[in-house]
Amino acid sequence: MPSLSRQLAEEILFEEARILDARRYDEWFAMLTEDMIYWVPCNGDGIDPNREISLVYDDHARLRDRIDRLASGVAHAQSPPSETCRLISNVQVEQTPDDTTVISSAFLLYELRHSRQRLFAGRYHHRLRFEDGRWKIASKKAVLLNNNEVIDNLTFIV
Amino acid sequence: MAGQLNFNELVQNERVHRKIYTEADVFDAEMEQIFEHTWVFVGHESEVAAVGDYKTITIGTQPAIMTRDEDGRIHILMNRCMHRGSTICQAERGNSNYFRCWYHGWTYTNRGELVGLPYAAGYGTSFDRNKFNLKRAKVGIYRGLVFASLNPEVPEISDHLARTKHYIDLFMDLSPEGEVEARCGTHKYGYDGNWKFQMENGVDGYHPNFVHQSFFEVQGKKLGRKVMKLFSETSAYQCKDLGNGHSILDMAPQRKANRPINNILRGAASKASTDLYLDSLVRRYGEERTSEILGASNVNLAVFPNLLIIGIQFRNVLPVSVNRTDVYLTPTTLKGVPEEINIARLRAHEAFYGSAGGGAPDDVEMFNRCTAGLRVKGAEWLELSRGMEREHPTADGSVAAQITDELPQRAFYRQWRDLMCGSAANIKELRPRSVAVID
Repeated sequence: MPSLSRQLAEEILFEEARILDARRYDEWFAMLTEDMIYWVPCNGDGIDPNREISLVYDDHARLRDRIDRLASGVAHAQSPPSETCRLISNVQVEQTPDDTTVISSAFLLYELRHSRQRLFAGRYHHRLRFEDGRWKIASKKAVLLNNNEVIDNLTFIV
Repeated sequence: MAGQLNFNELVQNERVHRKIYTEADVFDAEMEQIFEHTWVFVGHESEVAAVGDYKTITIGTQPAIMTRDEDGRIHILMNRCMHRGSTICQAERGNSNYFRCWYHGWTYTNRGELVGLPYAAGYGTSFDRNKFNLKRAKVGIYRGLVFASLNPEVPEISDHLARTKHYIDLFMDLSPEGEVEARCGTHKYGYDGNWKFQMENGVDGYHPNFVHQSFFEVQGKKLGRKVMKLFSETSAYQCKDLGNGHSILDMAPQRKANRPINNILRGAASKASTDLYLDSLVRRYGEERTSEILGASNVNLAVFPNLLIIGIQFRNVLPVSVNRTDVYLTPTTLKGVPEEINIARLRAHEAFYGSAGGGAPDDVEMFNRCTAGLRVKGAEWLELSRGMEREHPTADGSVAAQITDELPQRAFYRQWRDLMCGSAANIKELRPRSVAVID
């Protein structure tokens, strides 16, 4: 397994951000390993997803459903879709004992929908694994600063 | 002014006027006539499981605290210092036997008694500190559901819930111990619209095939069958008016005994866990009751004015202002079942509900669109007449109609009108203006 420099880690995160902001969800899906988890916790950080509710706790199959629904043309909460622009910073690479590398980062995400702009902030934790000759996302956890507050609509991919 | 609005005219048998969603005066009147007079859902006993546990809540728009005292009794204290008005409890949840107002140090027990009065001599000898205990609401509990009332004359909670109790029992009996727990977090979302949109929508069997088409299509493709028939004109499902403004989408009649489990778990739990769970239900309740429990396991039940029991969740509709509403979804876990069963329940809930779910945000989108559309003047009415001609009485004393009919909405608005006009059969004394607090 090649080592993951911070520069390379940033390139992967920036590329992911560009794909998500363009809502090219199939392309994003291809960046993920089959055992991946896409997790947006609720009611704070440090919860156990098997004992407490999350905003999103998708495995590969559930995430496929989510993307298919968004592509259906009748997902009303994304009609019109959320335009997003996310900034990623404070990137740190942490080596882990298994075959994955964890990248933690901070993000700001502007969302524009129905002429109203909202701002989300939080931290990403990406776990990357080198697979089939490239780095893939083995899990993504997005901890929103306001995940214990009222959020009207979070149907875009964070 | 509320006095100039004639609620009998705004809410008719088959239609309601747009002003009930758009006028601040109607909202203010609702907070008094409804939220200060009937029972308001505030939470579940398990949220304050231990002695000293508390949770801050609202009754209408009034802040309060649900506490459990050292004798294990639940109290609902108004979150307002009797000195100069500050809230005395700031946290969402916690554990404390005392609440101190940090403005001037007045301190109360979790039963509401004033026990700390700093520099008390300054109040003189005639000062009666017993008059300064916290205001308290009346507490009504049924199967762990906690309701508050600011009306000292409110009927017993059991009478208020009436025929909903049958369905609440079925919901709780999904646990082989007959108890659920609401300790796995809360989904919080909201919308720019009136609170009644959510109450109408929670028991609306006409909307799913349109609002939730995207969800059903994806599920249908996976299951290899059409799920949209269930909410169509040919469905055998029913809706029922349960009295007192309560109603239900009753999806039991068409269910086979072995099917409902899939609806709860969507096939996510292993066969071993599922069998273990089913066996424990049969041991506790017997075959026949187990079948009934499972058949009713995916209800949409509306308890007037602010509770919906849907899927695995208690849904608390929180009016903020005439055009702003918060909604708290508190999912439940079942006591005494394999962990895998509860995990499957959580995952199934997340798939549809919450701010990022595949269903609920599409409802919210419709509420926002209704708020926008109702700015049109000249089209004054919202039509709720669907199925009026096929309503029929049932053996349990309810009135039923086909699942896509607007019977539940008519039931809600009949109680709404009676309370707003002061003529509700089950709430006799309605004072025109009141700060009706117990003690």
